[in-house]
Amino acid sequence: MMGKGRNHAPFKTSEKIGGRGLKQKRKGLLNEEVLTTWLFLLPALLVVIVAVLIPLCNSFILSFQKVRINVPDFEPQFVGFQNYARMLEDPVFKRSVQNTVVFALVSVPIELVLGMVIAMMLSGDGKGARIMRSVMLIPMIMAPVAAGTMWRMMLDKNTGIINYLVSLAGIPAVDWLGNPIMAMVSIIMVDVWRMTPWFALLLISGIKSISGDTIEAALVDGASKWQCFWHVILPQLYRVLVLVLMMRTIDAFKVFDIVFVMTGGGPGMATEMLPNYIYAQGLRYFDAGYAAALALVFIAAMALLSGAFILVRNRRKQDE
Amino acid sequence: MKKREVSKISSTYTDFLGRPAKWIVMTLFAIAVIGPLYWLFTSAIKVKADYLASPPVIIPMKVTFENFVSIFKNDGVGKGLYNSIVITAVSTILASSLGSLAAFSLTKGRLRKPIRSILACWFLLQKMYPAIATAIPIYLVMRDLHLIDTKTAMIILNTSFNFPMVIWLMMGFFQEVPEEIEESGKMDGCGMAQRFFYLVLPVVKPGLVASSILTFVGTWNEFLFAVILSVRNAKTLPVIISGFITDRGLEWGPMAATGVTIILPVFIIVWLLQKDFVQGMTMGAVKG
Repeated sequence: MMGKGRNHAPFKTSEKIGGRGLKQKRKGLLNEEVLTTWLFLLPALLVVIVAVLIPLCNSFILSFQKVRINVPDFEPQFVGFQNYARMLEDPVFKRSVQNTVVFALVSVPIELVLGMVIAMMLSGDGKGARIMRSVMLIPMIMAPVAAGTMWRMMLDKNTGIINYLVSLAGIPAVDWLGNPIMAMVSIIMVDVWRMTPWFALLLISGIKSISGDTIEAALVDGASKWQCFWHVILPQLYRVLVLVLMMRTIDAFKVFDIVFVMTGGGPGMATEMLPNYIYAQGLRYFDAGYAAALALVFIAAMALLSGAFILVRNRRKQDE
Repeated sequence: MKKREVSKISSTYTDFLGRPAKWIVMTLFAIAVIGPLYWLFTSAIKVKADYLASPPVIIPMKVTFENFVSIFKNDGVGKGLYNSIVITAVSTILASSLGSLAAFSLTKGRLRKPIRSILACWFLLQKMYPAIATAIPIYLVMRDLHLIDTKTAMIILNTSFNFPMVIWLMMGFFQEVPEEIEESGKMDGCGMAQRFFYLVLPVVKPGLVASSILTFVGTWNEFLFAVILSVRNAKTLPVIISGFITDRGLEWGPMAATGVTIILPVFIIVWLLQKDFVQGMTMGAVKG
């Protein structure tokens, strides 16, 4: 063994030295790497701590206090669960929860179905489809406040273009934003206008990733186009559909901007949404404690929803 | 032959409800998208008698730019535009650069597995939590720091809002960087920082562009915190246009002109970088 090894001795030693050097170097690199890793993470973590974690903790403390933020030097008083108890008897809170749920559960499915139809029709490679695919980005990228303002102008009872078009059909002027039911319909309509292209955009990329072979096979078997859609394309889109549906549903609960500029929650409480109500309690009536309690309940609800979302997402991932 | 097959498959998509249905839906869709925008742009250049006319003037015969002149003169749109540009530019640079650093650490850095998953999960949750929930404490903190009505406050907040999106998007891009690139760097004795800046960053350029443009659009359009934290000096364009509505009712011309001022920059930039925008949107949604 010795004798055998001797022949290779020069190589071995050099290898050994090299190995040791490399190991030391590696170790140095390792420490440096751990350091760099955290250094790279630091700015993001700092901003998150300052802008998210600390405010969240503050929110938690505030929710057990009575605080008037418009009164200078107001000493916060501890009131226990009073803010939470108040919610149970607050009709505006109940109404705003109800409105938010109605808004999300009506607008999102409409957007999904319309988005799906449009995505199918725009999946081609023709020039028209390509142009429409870029034009439809516009509602999605324009500021929601600007979209809300624009629609408010068009929905105006007396000078709005929509009522003019409606009158051409012989229907009397509709008070879009003044009638409780129509106000909700209008808000949903604007949201559908804004977000249907978003669904279409994501679904188009889903459709394009389906392999043509499965469709070809179905066509050879004599399936109609509708059957192809229903039995071949839709099942393969299931994963993407669930994903976008859940993302958009969570997003829909955060609606604020378009309500703020279109109706301000009115008429009465007809379009008061939970985020708008939290805003009003905190920054219009300056009742920070109650607003914080509302916000925490909202977060809890959204966390449950997001948790369900992540669970579904991970299960889907495991299935693959 | 091959081409025919492809078009046959693609018509299976586009004509799935039949050809007439396709034309009807597409026409309505085009009108629904373009109609309101046409109305906004023409209202911005109509004279007062026209934008208040009944029946409405569909095609304006008299074109004027006095609405634009008046909003810059009387409504502080010039200052709002300046604020919007500064806040958006700084937040976009901060969020996409610092966010990529964090994302690189999370994908390729030396982190223990539980820490990695906790952080990744935290950023995913942060992507979904409602911003309004921290509005009041943020208002109080900014008041204590005397940052109310400053661009600094808006920049800090917008940066933090966009972190989760940038991090998730960039993590997707970093994961796709081939191992060999990093390995070759390690062989040459490059530290992690060197590998990041010289080897990996050039490869993920499309990701950087995509996350920058998404941050740009998000910050430019941000309204909730802009309206909470600005009083006079730090008002952004969305805050100014929302003020139009509450202050006076029927100033459609100036209001439409402000709307055009808000959306034009976003149109132009998204138009120029459309591919990156669409890629960012789809990757961010499907991966996150």
